[in-house]
Amino acid sequence: MRPNENDLNDELRGHLAIDIKQRIDRGEDPESARREALRELGYMPAVHEEMRRVWYSGWYDQTEALARDIRFALRSLIRAKALAVTVVVTLALGIGANTAIFSVVRSVLLRPLVNREADRLIYIRQTARGIGAENYTFSVPEINDFKSRVTTVAAFGDFSTVDFTLIGFGQEPRLVKAGVVNGAFFEVMGLRPVLGRLLSAADDGPAAAGVVVLTHRFWTTVLQSDPSVIGQTIRLGPRSATVVGVLEPSVPYPEETQVIANVVTSPHHSAATMQTARGHRMTELFGRLAPGATLEAARAELSSVHASMVREYPQWYSAKARVQLEVRTLRDQLASPAQTILLVLLAATAVVFVVACSNVANLILARSVRREGELAVRTSLGASRGALRRTLLAESLVMCTGGAILGLMLAVPLVAVASRYAARFSIRALEATVDAGVLWLGAGLAVAAAVLLAFVPRLASSDRRAGLGLTGGSVRVTPGTNRRLRIFATVQIACSFVLLVGAGTLVATLTAMQTANTSYDMRKVLAIDVPSSATAVFDPTRSTFFPEAIRRIGELPGVQGVAVGLVVPWRDRSFSNKAQLSVEGYQPGDGEESPTAQLRIISPGFFGVLGVPIVSGRDFREDDRDVAIISQSVAQRMFPNADAVNRSLRLGTATAPPRHIIGIVADVDDQNVVQEPTLTIYQSIRGGGAMGQLANRLFVRAAGDPNTLVPSVTRIIREISADQAVERPATLEDVRAEVLTPERLNTFVFSALGGIALLIAVIGVAGVLAFSVGARTREFGVRLAIGSTPRDLRTGVLWDGVRIAALGIAAGAAGGYALVRVAQGIWGTVHLPGALPVIGAAIVLLGAAAIAALMPATRASRLDVMQALRSE
Amino acid sequence: MAKNPQDERLELLQGTLDMLILRTLQWGPRHGHGVGQAIRAQSDDLLKVETGSLYPALHRLVKRGWLKAEWGLSEANQRARYYQLTAAGKKQLIREQDRWSLLVHAIGRIMNPAPADSDK
Repeated sequence: MRPNENDLNDELRGHLAIDIKQRIDRGEDPESARREALRELGYMPAVHEEMRRVWYSGWYDQTEALARDIRFALRSLIRAKALAVTVVVTLALGIGANTAIFSVVRSVLLRPLVNREADRLIYIRQTARGIGAENYTFSVPEINDFKSRVTTVAAFGDFSTVDFTLIGFGQEPRLVKAGVVNGAFFEVMGLRPVLGRLLSAADDGPAAAGVVVLTHRFWTTVLQSDPSVIGQTIRLGPRSATVVGVLEPSVPYPEETQVIANVVTSPHHSAATMQTARGHRMTELFGRLAPGATLEAARAELSSVHASMVREYPQWYSAKARVQLEVRTLRDQLASPAQTILLVLLAATAVVFVVACSNVANLILARSVRREGELAVRTSLGASRGALRRTLLAESLVMCTGGAILGLMLAVPLVAVASRYAARFSIRALEATVDAGVLWLGAGLAVAAAVLLAFVPRLASSDRRAGLGLTGGSVRVTPGTNRRLRIFATVQIACSFVLLVGAGTLVATLTAMQTANTSYDMRKVLAIDVPSSATAVFDPTRSTFFPEAIRRIGELPGVQGVAVGLVVPWRDRSFSNKAQLSVEGYQPGDGEESPTAQLRIISPGFFGVLGVPIVSGRDFREDDRDVAIISQSVAQRMFPNADAVNRSLRLGTATAPPRHIIGIVADVDDQNVVQEPTLTIYQSIRGGGAMGQLANRLFVRAAGDPNTLVPSVTRIIREISADQAVERPATLEDVRAEVLTPERLNTFVFSALGGIALLIAVIGVAGVLAFSVGARTREFGVRLAIGSTPRDLRTGVLWDGVRIAALGIAAGAAGGYALVRVAQGIWGTVHLPGALPVIGAAIVLLGAAAIAALMPATRASRLDVMQALRSE
Repeated sequence: MAKNPQDERLELLQGTLDMLILRTLQWGPRHGHGVGQAIRAQSDDLLKVETGSLYPALHRLVKRGWLKAEWGLSEANQRARYYQLTAAGKKQLIREQDRWSLLVHAIGRIMNPAPADSDK
């Protein structure tokens, strides 16, 4: 029915043709006929436009009205710059924070994995919580049992890691973490190569050639996406392998590796212990569900096979260890640790958004009261309520659009920060980007805010006596308006309080960790990883490497001592090397297990280098055999009534050779930054046998700045062994800071959110009070006239601010308490914050409110009586 | 401009164009050009409808349902829209005609007041 553009044009052209033909028929010459016809027709686009207008008039009117409103809004906002800027910035903060967190949440929890049919890809984990192993991993015989007995899982992929020194690609020797997988692994994971091929069943078995696949990140960052690396042969530790392909970008789990190799590449994996010892657990297990099998079915079957394994080989599954099986999809496994923290974060940013919105609502409400006069004039000139509402909507739309644009610009750097922050819970967070979905969210938030804000101001209802508003263009504040302003301000204080308490709790925890006393000399000791080229394989040259390194580094100027140890405190906290203790005459109490202690292999001089005091006895000497040094806790626990020095203890069973105790040292907890009493047994690197090979952390005690020693130490190590990797040199202080990075980030993020909320709330309180002072000018004038002092007025306004803050804090405390109770119901382990953060947050807010009130209060006290009385 | 011969033509009274269009279509369908020409011819060249007014008016009447339009071939062998009265359009024409008569009568009474006694 409605003609389209072409129809309109055709009709006019038809008209023209008829006109020309008639003129020619009358005898005019064609040229002038055409000219005249065109002249008669008039300006064609205008005619065309008129015709369109007939059909699209309603639409025309609305867009025109909106455009007019928006132009009007822009003009009136330019007059109120301060307000507009405050609103835009406040909204931008709220929208920016929300979109950033949302994009991370989406990439971690909502976005599908690149793995083909990811919902059929399962991750199988063995736990032994009885001995504190969340991830007990599997041994090859265990995996073989699963492979032969389980039918609901079509194929298993196994994955373990090993550190290699990689030599090749024309680069310096570097330590890489390599994944070692079976041929089915990539098929099970459902991953494709971007270059070359991945591994297949042909790469399994001891006769296969060594082949290696590069991960995408390694290929793009270290090798600059060089396609010619395919086919090159590289050395991985003692063996060599051919690069066959590059893996597509995918989520590395359970560990990020640089390369992924077949089993034959790793001597350790090919060794008999690995292949036959049921207790040699170091492999992660993935599976792909068989066609038609459900996750539940697979879980049930895997569990029953596992249960029969436990029955058949009880010696490998001690009751105390509580070995259990967990089966879930890889997707859930990736998301679960991040879920809680991300939801908490999302809630915190939502709170910030509420604070921002209520503050903006406040500003707009105050503004609308000030322009009640203007609105009244417009009403009396015939503007409908709808038209007024549209004006207000246009205004808030303009501000919210501004806020959204600025917010999304803020979101880009925020996403980068937030994704790095969340990456430690879930590697998937690194995929977070600002894209269309996030833009929609930002736009949605802005529109929601705009509509909300347009309905905040009350319009003069048509039945109200218009004369009231029209009288002087002055401000009249109804009690309702004032109450609403106060409610919004109170909400802001309450929300800020909750956030500040959260941030305060984190700050308190972090401070405790950072200032915790350790027995180490934190600033003087340099720790360096000097990894062996392939773990746990005996290398005869190693036995001469460290003595020579210790001797030569010790001769460097500025070096006070050099030692070798098993772990760098805190950085290697995943390394656990526990042994059961037994001492003649010591009987564990009823129902108690024999205590287990961390076993540490060290070189003589270790305690001196790290600054750990020897409480009694002596340090190791080069010629010591079968001796041990124990920590104070061990001494107190195992030898409660006597001096432990010169006694002996056994590690493991009572039949193990006894070890002579030669000294007692102070407790040092190299697993936790906040020190706890720890049972530790030290053995000399000489007496440790094959275990001595594992000790490859070098400690250098410096007289001055330890970091200046790094180049010369590296040079000496390379001189002794040219292919030796030298990794991660850092002082113990830096190591602790690095280990605490997650906590610092947590604290930083929550403090930032709390700070934003506080800032907004302060602006809100100041705004409300300024407004109320402005509105009460006349009242203040009267009060001054009848004898109040300016000081009284100032105090009154100040108290007003403090009252709002106090009310908000009370509301926040009640709300926060309720929140904690709800959270306890859901997660069980949520603690109420300590008194210090609560009181601290309250003081900060009260102080901030008082400062915010100061300006309006001062203004109130400086009022001139006569002017104030005349002000209406 | 003042010497332009077209100035002798009359300006249409507001609201009368629609009525004239309906009237010219009373005896059958015409295209837009034909409608304009008919108005001009039947008014002895006194009324001239601008294209810019004619076509929007035609479309307005189609939109209101008083006319319907169909594509056809014009004498110039071009596509042209032929307009035709609908039933509602015919009723509307009668209404407008009645109103027009009343208006002419009323205006006539004012402009040419008859002597009071002539009323008898």
